[in-house]
Amino acid sequence: MSRLCALLAWALLALQGLGEGATEDEACCGPIVPRREWRALASECAQELKLPARYVVVSHTAGGHCDTPASCLQQAQNVQHYHARTLGYCDVAYNFLIGEDGLVYEGRGWKIKGDHSGPTWNPRAIGITFMGNFMERSPHPRAIRAAKSLLACGVARGALLPNYEVKGHRDVQQTLSPGDRLYDIIQEWPHYRE
Amino acid sequence: MRKARLWGLLWTSFILELQGAPRSEEIKYTRTEGQSLSESCPFNVMKYFSIRKAWQRLGDRGEIQTLAITDRVSGQSSKVHVDRCSLEDIPTEGILHVHMTDLRVEDSGLYQCVIYQPPKAPVLLHHPIRLVVTKDPAQDLAQRSTLPPVTTKARVKTRTNPSPVTQLPASESTAGLGVNPTHGTDVLSMEPRISVISTVTIVVCGILSKSLVFTFLLIATQRSFGR
Repeated sequence: MSRLCALLAWALLALQGLGEGATEDEACCGPIVPRREWRALASECAQELKLPARYVVVSHTAGGHCDTPASCLQQAQNVQHYHARTLGYCDVAYNFLIGEDGLVYEGRGWKIKGDHSGPTWNPRAIGITFMGNFMERSPHPRAIRAAKSLLACGVARGALLPNYEVKGHRDVQQTLSPGDRLYDIIQEWPHYRE
Repeated sequence: MRKARLWGLLWTSFILELQGAPRSEEIKYTRTEGQSLSESCPFNVMKYFSIRKAWQRLGDRGEIQTLAITDRVSGQSSKVHVDRCSLEDIPTEGILHVHMTDLRVEDSGLYQCVIYQPPKAPVLLHHPIRLVVTKDPAQDLAQRSTLPPVTTKARVKTRTNPSPVTQLPASESTAGLGVNPTHGTDVLSMEPRISVISTVTIVVCGILSKSLVFTFLLIATQRSFGR
């Protein structure tokens, strides 16, 4: 019996060694809600990002939260409306928005420079935001999963460097974003670098 | 007792494999004499807003030479110029911009951005920067008979550096080489061969180290079960 256990341990060790070779770029790109589907206003942005990007900045909208596809679709529209019509941006500020429904909403996408983190960081980072306020509350695990899957997809597509670095919004700007609870979570991500 | 030790060994190797700590990979830049280098080193806005930063050069034997330090009046944007280096600290953006102009071959080496807080040890920001400055090919053509062995050797040395190196896109490293096509092709054809060698070396070393661990543990297990 113990011989069997030892053999099992060996097999697992071997797989672990092989597993290290299996990198993130084997992840398939998961579903992203396209702009058309969430009825986004047309983008007026033209500035492109120089890819692959080295940095990802994680923020929160600090606004209303949503946890169903219907409510998150509405929330994405709300955020875009505020940015494009009230603040006068060329489009919603973020490259991607994450809903607590577990879905990723396409913002400016991988190729267009965002307006999420100031003049220094916008040209060098992909900005992803979690829709909601995460100072006192953590995002639902499915939102975290969606974000991680999105970033793996970025590497697979060559939009992110394989050794990309995740930063919290508060690490690169003077802000409370992405909220204490979400900040605690991203600090545990393998690509997080303060 | 012996079995417990063996299990301990097995689990230790499990954990060691899992750790794979993020290495501080070098970022490499290649320039010709007279060109400049610009790099931006991020720092944490909350932690290092008011703390001084520095640009340092690391010698071959690990000795540190501080080339420039940001102003003492911290917490505000500041720019310092020392010699051919400039350092711009923008605390509100969490970024330190470094600029080195009029590069010379002697500037080739390893550099780093750090948080400067003596007597505490400096904290590395971003990644170490490996700079390679080569002679201007137009000048080199004139001095071809005496200089080529030195130039090529220098390039080979840096490229077979065992530590992981992120290479920038071709446009960065081939800038300025377009002037003399022959020289350019010589250098360019060496690059793919050398990067293949270093990749193969790294892969082989990885496989060898893992097989060593397995072999050792296999022998240990055999001995135990043999009894």
